[in-house]
Amino acid sequence: MIFDIVKHSLSSPNVLVPVEALIFNAEGSRMPDVRSEALTASIARRVVDVCGTAALAIDEAEGRSTLSLDYGKCTGCGQCIEAGEGAFIAAGRVACGVGRQALVSRWDIEGGSEIVGEEAVLTVAAREIRAIVGGALNIRQVDGGSCNGCEAEIGALTNPYYDLERFGIHFVASPKHADMLLVTGPVTRNMAEAVKRTYAATPAPKLVVAVGACGCSGGIFAESSEVAGGVNSVIPVDGYIPGCPPTPAMLLTGILRVLGRRR
Amino acid sequence: MTTKLTASGVEGSAEDALRLLTHSGARLVSIFGSVDESGAKRVYAIAEVNREYRIVNVAVTGALASVTPMCPAAAWYERELHDRFGIEIEGHPDLRPLVYHPADYTFLQVQGVGVCELPVGPVHAGIIEPGHFRFSVMGDTVLHLEPRLFYTHKGTETLFEGMSVLKGTALAESVSGDNCFAHAVAYCQSVENAFGISVPPRGRAIRLIGLELERMMAHIADVGALCGDVGCVVPAAYTARIKESLLQASARLIGTRYWRGTATPGGVRRDISAENAQRFGEVVAHAAADFVEMARIILDTPSVLNRFEGAGILSNEMARDLGAVGVVARASGVRMDVRRDHAYGHYRNITVETPHSQHGDVLARARMRIEETRVSARLIKDALKELAAGIVCTQVPCDGSAEGFSAVESPRGELLYWIRIRNGRIARCHIKSPSFQNWPCLPLAVAGNISADFPLINKSFNLSYSGCDR
Repeated sequence: MIFDIVKHSLSSPNVLVPVEALIFNAEGSRMPDVRSEALTASIARRVVDVCGTAALAIDEAEGRSTLSLDYGKCTGCGQCIEAGEGAFIAAGRVACGVGRQALVSRWDIEGGSEIVGEEAVLTVAAREIRAIVGGALNIRQVDGGSCNGCEAEIGALTNPYYDLERFGIHFVASPKHADMLLVTGPVTRNMAEAVKRTYAATPAPKLVVAVGACGCSGGIFAESSEVAGGVNSVIPVDGYIPGCPPTPAMLLTGILRVLGRRR
Repeated sequence: MTTKLTASGVEGSAEDALRLLTHSGARLVSIFGSVDESGAKRVYAIAEVNREYRIVNVAVTGALASVTPMCPAAAWYERELHDRFGIEIEGHPDLRPLVYHPADYTFLQVQGVGVCELPVGPVHAGIIEPGHFRFSVMGDTVLHLEPRLFYTHKGTETLFEGMSVLKGTALAESVSGDNCFAHAVAYCQSVENAFGISVPPRGRAIRLIGLELERMMAHIADVGALCGDVGCVVPAAYTARIKESLLQASARLIGTRYWRGTATPGGVRRDISAENAQRFGEVVAHAAADFVEMARIILDTPSVLNRFEGAGILSNEMARDLGAVGVVARASGVRMDVRRDHAYGHYRNITVETPHSQHGDVLARARMRIEETRVSARLIKDALKELAAGIVCTQVPCDGSAEGFSAVESPRGELLYWIRIRNGRIARCHIKSPSFQNWPCLPLAVAGNISADFPLINKSFNLSYSGCDR
């Protein structure tokens, strides 16, 4: 009976994860980070070779070689960590809810240091939405053709560990009620029109967040002729959350950052 | 004398394929096309007869006679052959496009006074995958449901072609994300079968743990979602919590929440320590006990039973005719389970209980999920207790040429990978997804129910859109 259920539930300990433990936490995503002091040219060449989605690349410009890691393409397969002889480790922090360029990190291969990029700036729509609704937010989730891995993790945001509602954020059933579209990809040819129409049905000001390696860049499906590409190939995007799939902590970080609620 | 079945099977005519598929007691497993280096097309038909897979391959020189009128389970496979390989199928009752979406698609129309059409999707109200459902209703009653899927078609089988064997695993993991480990293992086993590689006992046991955990998580989440659909939200939240405890335990044990990046041809990529294994076992045992208690309460609640019982009945005859697999089949009295009928990996060393029911309704499917969760928890416990020592992976040749196939019992049912490798690169990879097989069953279970029960019935099937659409 329902009273048994409530009793059972109340007798269980609280499992809510404090927000500080979630923000930027990339544990369980298997995304890599680079220990620049251990990076060598031969390691760089080897990891570029084993990377399954061309997330790693070597750029030669002005006599300087740099290794770039595009988190928007990375699926966290872990091959670079296995082949990187200690220069590649599991990342503790990964940027989420930032612009597309801010997902790319660069390292000076010979110099042994990270090249620091520009800080992400809040979009106009994010400022307008904050001015209207304060911290609260209505999200409409849209699957543009994903493998459902991202949906499984987005669904986990509402469980008692993450409890998205505590931030005044909830998922709504219609784009007409939404401030934000949380869109997974890759956007397939068969879904492109539906994604565009969903965007058109969402009242302005509106935010679009692309979720997952496939949402950010097309991911592992980028080369398929049946795929239009990442979310930004069909509608404008304000922020990106990498990962394959992003963990609930990464999703939460991204959503709060796009809103400007976390730096 | 018996000969070992090769992946190509027996070369035969279209009549031979038809004979195989309509053989008494045969169950269609898959039909798929392939184009060889010279551009010649070939169709492969796989059926199960007396718990044995049999394969016939047919050279395509012109139109093929449809087998659908005699074997209804073939309907979607033939439509896919027509769409993707341009093979003409003569005598098919419905050859409308399935995979591709031309603008001039027409839905089947139910005619008569008072019949309304309800279009739903592809963008749905919840956090779920896209697909379109066209209901023809009279008042509340659904007369006919036509699903139009393949919105998530990503050309995955084509994308495999040209990939190295080792990199293919990651793509297999992205066919249906919530069953990613079953896909990865089925893919890896097909490569291992092709090259005749055996996985070390410890690697096989770790795979079993991952596969059974994936089943537990899927079933627990499904039972919770069923409760959510009938307004019983506390158990829905509670089961979500149990599932999350298993996801976090996975991240601690193996490094990822859904076991991505774990399987590889030859075994698994990471070993588990005795200490981690013990802690993991404790979490699984606790989750299973919690879920059993929650399930008992759920099935004792009259308002839940009232909605579950008698809703969305799939008869035994329908399930057999359409070649249903997994929970859907077992809930309709079709006793099949790849773990038992075609034991693979560590399942060869153990006995798997396969619960089944005759009722075929939402309640039967919910009961199957509850029973199977209990079985899975026990299998994990046993595997952890008797975990063999030794290495977890053997080396796989990366440059050979061979063909192989392998089936696993994924949380949704029989999942089969068929692979052809040429010089270490994938030349053809076909995925028989349990959802592709089970989707055509759903409209039959929905007809005659009220449209408000559709979400519940749909959830009780819990089919993957991406797995079906590929």
